[in-house]
Amino acid sequence: MNLEFVGDGPALVVEDKLRFLIAADLHFGIEADLAQHGLHFRSRSKDRLERLLAIIDRTDPDGLVLLGDVKHSIPTLTRQEYYELPRILATLRDRVPLLVFPGNHDTGIERYLVPGEIFAREGAVIDGVGYLHGHMYPSPSLAGHLMIAGHHHPLLTLRDRVGCALQSPAYLRAGVNNVALRMAEQGEADAPTRVLFMPAFNEIAGYDLFQIIRNPTSPLSRHINSDDTEIILADGTYIGPLKTLIPDESD
Amino acid sequence: MKAIEVLDPKVQACIRKRGFTLLSDAQKEAIPLILRGDHTLLIAPTGTGKTESAMFPVFNALLTMPSDGGFKALYITPLRSLNRDILSRMQWWCSELGLTVGVRHGDTPMAERRKQALYPPDLLITTPETVQALFMGKRLRHHLASVRFVIVDEIHELAGSKRGAQLAVALERLHVYAGEFQRIGLSATVGNPQDIARFLCGERPFSLVQVPVAKNLKIDVRYVGDDFRHQTEVLSQMLKREGSTLVFVNTRVTAEALGHALFERGDVEVHHGSLSKEVRIDAEERFKRGEIHTLICTSSMELGIDIGRIDHVIQFGSPREVARLVQRVGRAGHQLNTVSHGTILATGFDDLLESLVIAKKARANELEEVIAEQNAADVLANQVAAIAVEYGEIERQKIVDILCRTSLFREPALLLEDVCRQMEEHRLIRLDGSRIITTARARRYLAGNLSMIHDERKVPVFDMVSRRTVGTLDESFVVGWVHTGVVFITKGQLWRVLEIADGKLTVEPAKKVSGELPSWEGEQIPVPFSVAREAGAIRRSRRITDYTSDPDNVAYAGQFLVEMDKNRSLVPTDRLISLENTDDGVVCNVCAGHKANEALGRVLSVLISARYGTTVGLELDAYRILLRLPFDIRAADVRDLLLSLDPAHMPGIIRLSLKRTALFKWKLVQIAKKFGAVDPDADYEKISIIRLLEFFDNTIVQQEAFRELLTGYMDIEAASAIARQIKTGEMSVGIGPHSLIGAGGLLSSRDQIPPPTADQAILSTLRRRLDQDDVFLCCMNCRDWKSKTVVSRIPDHPQCPKCGARLIAALKPYEEDSFTMVKKSRKTSEERAVEQRLMKNANMVLSSGKKAVIALSGRGVGPENASRILATLTDGDAFYREILKAERNFIQTHRYWT
Repeated sequence: MNLEFVGDGPALVVEDKLRFLIAADLHFGIEADLAQHGLHFRSRSKDRLERLLAIIDRTDPDGLVLLGDVKHSIPTLTRQEYYELPRILATLRDRVPLLVFPGNHDTGIERYLVPGEIFAREGAVIDGVGYLHGHMYPSPSLAGHLMIAGHHHPLLTLRDRVGCALQSPAYLRAGVNNVALRMAEQGEADAPTRVLFMPAFNEIAGYDLFQIIRNPTSPLSRHINSDDTEIILADGTYIGPLKTLIPDESD
Repeated sequence: MKAIEVLDPKVQACIRKRGFTLLSDAQKEAIPLILRGDHTLLIAPTGTGKTESAMFPVFNALLTMPSDGGFKALYITPLRSLNRDILSRMQWWCSELGLTVGVRHGDTPMAERRKQALYPPDLLITTPETVQALFMGKRLRHHLASVRFVIVDEIHELAGSKRGAQLAVALERLHVYAGEFQRIGLSATVGNPQDIARFLCGERPFSLVQVPVAKNLKIDVRYVGDDFRHQTEVLSQMLKREGSTLVFVNTRVTAEALGHALFERGDVEVHHGSLSKEVRIDAEERFKRGEIHTLICTSSMELGIDIGRIDHVIQFGSPREVARLVQRVGRAGHQLNTVSHGTILATGFDDLLESLVIAKKARANELEEVIAEQNAADVLANQVAAIAVEYGEIERQKIVDILCRTSLFREPALLLEDVCRQMEEHRLIRLDGSRIITTARARRYLAGNLSMIHDERKVPVFDMVSRRTVGTLDESFVVGWVHTGVVFITKGQLWRVLEIADGKLTVEPAKKVSGELPSWEGEQIPVPFSVAREAGAIRRSRRITDYTSDPDNVAYAGQFLVEMDKNRSLVPTDRLISLENTDDGVVCNVCAGHKANEALGRVLSVLISARYGTTVGLELDAYRILLRLPFDIRAADVRDLLLSLDPAHMPGIIRLSLKRTALFKWKLVQIAKKFGAVDPDADYEKISIIRLLEFFDNTIVQQEAFRELLTGYMDIEAASAIARQIKTGEMSVGIGPHSLIGAGGLLSSRDQIPPPTADQAILSTLRRRLDQDDVFLCCMNCRDWKSKTVVSRIPDHPQCPKCGARLIAALKPYEEDSFTMVKKSRKTSEERAVEQRLMKNANMVLSSGKKAVIALSGRGVGPENASRILATLTDGDAFYREILKAERNFIQTHRYWT
């Protein structure tokens, strides 16, 4: 299995027997919610979709895996989503087969997907790699595999010698505790399981990755092994183990 | 009293009844002109009866007008407190003359407002913001049609601001209902009266009445030392004399500190904008009644609020601007033809020289100009929304007509086009061909945006450790810049942000960090270029006696310069920029004032950050720029940059640099609010607002942020002039030891200039990581020595302490076992392969030393990759970039992921 990092996504290409393009957390329809919170912008759906289409054309995958939160509004569909979603999904489907792992924001998305496109919320293994949105306990079938998950929107801040200089979407790769994640029984000899948290494809979603670790809100983030956690930038630049960045926080 | 003989006998009788026996020059000159119907700008010192000058002729006209409802005259002042003061003065006149008067502003109760809508007073006293609100109601709009006079009081306070620009548009909106009305502006002394008149009248002809202030000013400057306790003692002594005193300070913090120190005297009160209305009014009243003799105040007392007789004005610290000094001292001797006495207490070397220059300029009547806001796009957006609500829908051309009548918009049609498009983006208006149509949002927007003053929500700063709130920050600052992990300064202390949630900022105290972050604790009054230059000239000529005869002043300043000479320090002047190395970076001593230094500092920072790929911290005041730099960039490097500065490139460089700074993002949020993109109570949690701001790239919002910063916050002209002088040799650049002058001053503005690419942050993170990496050094010669250490501790050419050989393999912790294998005497073929790898490894360390160890520490970098990296023969950043490349390749492979 090989991975390619698509920095202008952020997206991933995972290639083994098949070639998949992975994107997480597109949050189509976020603008309606922003307006509810006092931020008024026109819909960026078109720009976001075009960005994704360009990456599909460039990477030429066998399938597009959307790791949840394709849409934004919960618990109901908004007007914006009602009008935009069908066309967005149809446009994508025309180019490449869709595989959707619904996330917590995806209530009601079923009506716009065709059978065979929806996978379990708890995740599934495809071509040797586990995929899931990441807001629930993963299916035990994912144990021993690399799990790729969305949901957390990690964003990394780096400082140079004088001050803050970079804020960038980043990946977080970590070992997880199979037992705590209910993927294995205590004492059961199990292959190590790793999770890769993907940054959000949505251009304004972002959450400080140290916060993800300090104040975990999902089963996955609660049960990662922070000693075995490494950070990679959206473009595939290896930043290093989390623990080498921690002293930076408390100098 | 001849001038009033032209007035209606009823008005004349009133004037006599009120006890006026003498008219001031201002009144004598202005009354006939205003009575004649001229648009008039009256410029005169406070206390010369400006209000009466305007109102006598207005009363005269009002008496002859039919009482058919509607407002007849609007009296607009910048402050509610001034409104109250004017109201109490007008009530007497109006009741005597049988006219009605009312006040309407933010504090006016609902019942009163309703009454005004039903029975509009002849004279309405109001603020620019409430004028905006008058256009929103149908009935009030109807009453506006009968307006014949608009009086704008303290117009100099408004003319240079966006508030003023908004008012100028509002006056032309009023014109649509009322037709031509007479405009009367009342102003303190300014450097450019014609411009102020244009601001009021647009292209209409006007009359100008100017009463000079300078001849009645007597200003002393007195050095009181740099110790606060001593300063307060001197002040306390000065307050012991008879009569009442206003003490002006430049910040609220100083006002509080002085108030606290003088509290025990019992005759002192503090007055500033952060205090509640009740507290302020109580202080004013007690001062007026003579119960207290001293009021310590900020600019809140500059305007003509009547607080009775003031015998003396003390300015604590340099007044920064000539106009400000004149305005403040002008409050003393609040009677006709008396001399105003003022004393500046100077609190340091810069402060003393600056005060002397300002005092001299005040005597010579050389005041600063008030520069109006030209083409302010956010003002226009605000007014387009207001007009859309006012009319429901309107042709664009009608708005262009309104704008054309003001003096503030060049090419309004083009600007309007851009502004409307942006507003539509944020759903504040709809566009339909040439028509602009209001939306449901627009009225709600207006309710929160009547004012162009950035009425900032304050975000509380909560300290996790002491579990208490330690202060507040401007919301726009928090939104545009602060994120988890950053360090900033407030209350003179460093804090690290732990979390931004629930509308508060959770922080912990931070220890010294290499970089300090932006901080704006209230915007400072900038010292003008000309003042700072002249202060620099005194440093050069050392002729302090040209400015003061006070022996203490002369002795202190003389002694200070002698001390500089003794230390072999360079004394920076108007012809010499001196550079000094310090632990934090490089101090550039430039006597150019805040705005020119801001421009120059930013140009230098961006050039350094681009050349060296590092973030540069910038702090400055009127006389010095501190560039916070990594230790390896020194004064000589900064000098080279200064000497090679091309004035023609400076504006472009500044534009480039601004985009990524905190200052710019802060402005962008403020302007976005005026375009309706961001509500006043918006909730920013859980999204990356910094990336949201990228939506404004190449829009009118961004353009306006540039315009405002480039005209209001910095003086590129002056900075370019300095660059030109450096080129021609008029200005020299020298390097000296860290000096008293270089170390002095409280740096008032802070920002950071990040490098054009983020590369450096990644590289320094990589270096730090590799430095910390554990490594096993194993001697491949004797095969008997192994040592665990970290990369940073390894010497340039590691050597085996047992056999002295330099054939050392550098192994990652998980490779430790392979050395054990190598020590075996009988090896399998697999083990022999391992041995070969280790030999390759050790040979690399033998030939390239520590550099090989560093390369070998890279994630997934084995001997093959390492030798490829070393073969590039790169050094420094380029070498580390090669390692990054190798690591990036590695993590795309199967090996990393399984």
